[in-house]
Amino acid sequence: MPELNPYKSIKSEVLEVITETTNIKTIRFKPEVPISFRTGQFVEFSLPGVGEAPFTPSSQPAISDVLEVSVMKVGKVTEKIHQLQKGDIIGIRGPFGNGYPLDEFKGREVLVLGGGCGFAPLRSLMYSFFAISGQLKKLYFRGGCKSPGDFLYKKEIETWKERKDLNIELTVDKGDDSWKGNVGVVTTILDSVKMDFASGIAVLCGPPIMMKFGARKVLEMGFKEDNMFLSMEKNMSCGIGKCGHCRLDKYYCCKDGPVFKYNAIKNAHEIWD
Amino acid sequence: MEKCFLSNTDVGAFLEKLSVRFDVYFPVKKKEQRFYKKFESVNDRPSLGEVRPFEPLKAFFSRARECVAENFSDPAPQTNPKPIAIVGVKACDLKGMKVQDFVFLNSGNKDPFYARNREQNIIIGADCTCAIDTCFCLALGVRPYPEGGFDLNLSQVADGFLVDTGSEKGKALLGEFSLLFKEAPESSIKERDSQRALVFKAVEENIKKFDVPVQEVFKGIVERNFSSGIWEDEAKTCVECGACTNICPTCHCFLLYDQKDKDKMERLRVWDSCMIKDYARVAGGANPRKKLWMRLRNRFEKKFDFFPKVLDTYACTGCGRCISACPAKIDIRKVLRRLVANA
Repeated sequence: MPELNPYKSIKSEVLEVITETTNIKTIRFKPEVPISFRTGQFVEFSLPGVGEAPFTPSSQPAISDVLEVSVMKVGKVTEKIHQLQKGDIIGIRGPFGNGYPLDEFKGREVLVLGGGCGFAPLRSLMYSFFAISGQLKKLYFRGGCKSPGDFLYKKEIETWKERKDLNIELTVDKGDDSWKGNVGVVTTILDSVKMDFASGIAVLCGPPIMMKFGARKVLEMGFKEDNMFLSMEKNMSCGIGKCGHCRLDKYYCCKDGPVFKYNAIKNAHEIWD
Repeated sequence: MEKCFLSNTDVGAFLEKLSVRFDVYFPVKKKEQRFYKKFESVNDRPSLGEVRPFEPLKAFFSRARECVAENFSDPAPQTNPKPIAIVGVKACDLKGMKVQDFVFLNSGNKDPFYARNREQNIIIGADCTCAIDTCFCLALGVRPYPEGGFDLNLSQVADGFLVDTGSEKGKALLGEFSLLFKEAPESSIKERDSQRALVFKAVEENIKKFDVPVQEVFKGIVERNFSSGIWEDEAKTCVECGACTNICPTCHCFLLYDQKDKDKMERLRVWDSCMIKDYARVAGGANPRKKLWMRLRNRFEKKFDFFPKVLDTYACTGCGRCISACPAKIDIRKVLRRLVANA
């Protein structure tokens, strides 16, 4: 090949498989060649000879020799990913797309709104924020899951609650005996967010239904459309805007996203479907 | 006068000489259709006039099925490294290549496989010498004779072909095979003009006969009709075969899929179709286009909304292949007519 072959995966070794919830596992792997990514970019994760699926790494972007992705078991490929064990060989392509424009966030007040497996990309983003936390005016994290058992990175998030540079609240759709926090969807824990909404940044990542109502709520609060960042999930495959599958209006999620400013895609059809 | 005439008796010799350095392909006629065939001998009977062949030109560059990776490495190199020369390419397919080139070469990362197939190739165009029922190129601003995008172009006249040069590569070919090219007979230029006018008229008559709207009125037709019942109505007979997209000179979508046997694993790139149910489905089952009519609408959105936005062109060439390929008789001309009428 005269040019770099974008379809070829980097051979990687599974270092650890962490069970997060009943249907989410985190795969820690070491690529043969280090993979540098910007937080918000995604990779194509493949099981050799079986198939590929896109995931946004949930690990520290500063670390390129060991990466992590958190995978919910939802289909053929993810079911097989869940069967991976330490020492297994996988393939990684990427990173692809645009990450979060961190420089744009400096000096601003930031609200991060996450739901369910949206915590995976957001953990990587939070690491990036923690690394520059002195440069953020304020940082809020508001996250929700279906039930207390569905939270990713539970222990780690407990430690976030101790942080001075973060204001965090969590909620569940349906509580249980152990849950002492708020019960309700994530938009019900936004009243305690105190900032100048007109100049603040809102970052949303979660399942489509949460994104839809989250975006609506955040707009009502007074955030500006071009200060809202959405992480879009479409059927990304080639990663370079050629195969066509992840088109959203005049964009390809893989090449022009997956992180979009709301005003860029607000008129796209099928945006929340 | 320039030596720009290839006589009928020299066509075979020209193709033969070309085949030393290139894998040469040209259309041959089988019953009512034309199909590309690889040059074998001077006795081949190329059909350089008439209209576009059955296969879209893209098939030479973005192959219907191609191995793009093997075991974390590049695929084994091809055994036959000759570049391709395609002779007899029609204007509609040349417009299709504008779209293909944009996607695979000029929009973001280059696709190395397409680039390799496209590199060093020779494209020799040819005027259409007639129109068939499904031809409506003029509606998309394409004339039935190549006006660019070729290395050489052949215009059929009595006894031979007038040859136009479209690139430095084409010019070099004329020089290389200069013994085969003669001075054009004076009458031939007039002859070409009147021949072109005849075919132009034939396409115009098609457009009138089938009441095809022209691209000047296409702006916003998909957006304005997004909620109309036209899509559901037109998709009623669709059997989701994907013929319309496979046969389309502008459609470029593909599927990457992995397979393995005992010794190796392969990643294949195969043509895909946005008409197929799972095309946009994400893991977990969410599918923005569950219904067939949504996928039909999406196909039109891609052609008549997306490409005008990113490339300033409608991704249709008026070649009419999708009309003849569709087992459900969905007719792009009729859909366009309804969209325009309902605007």
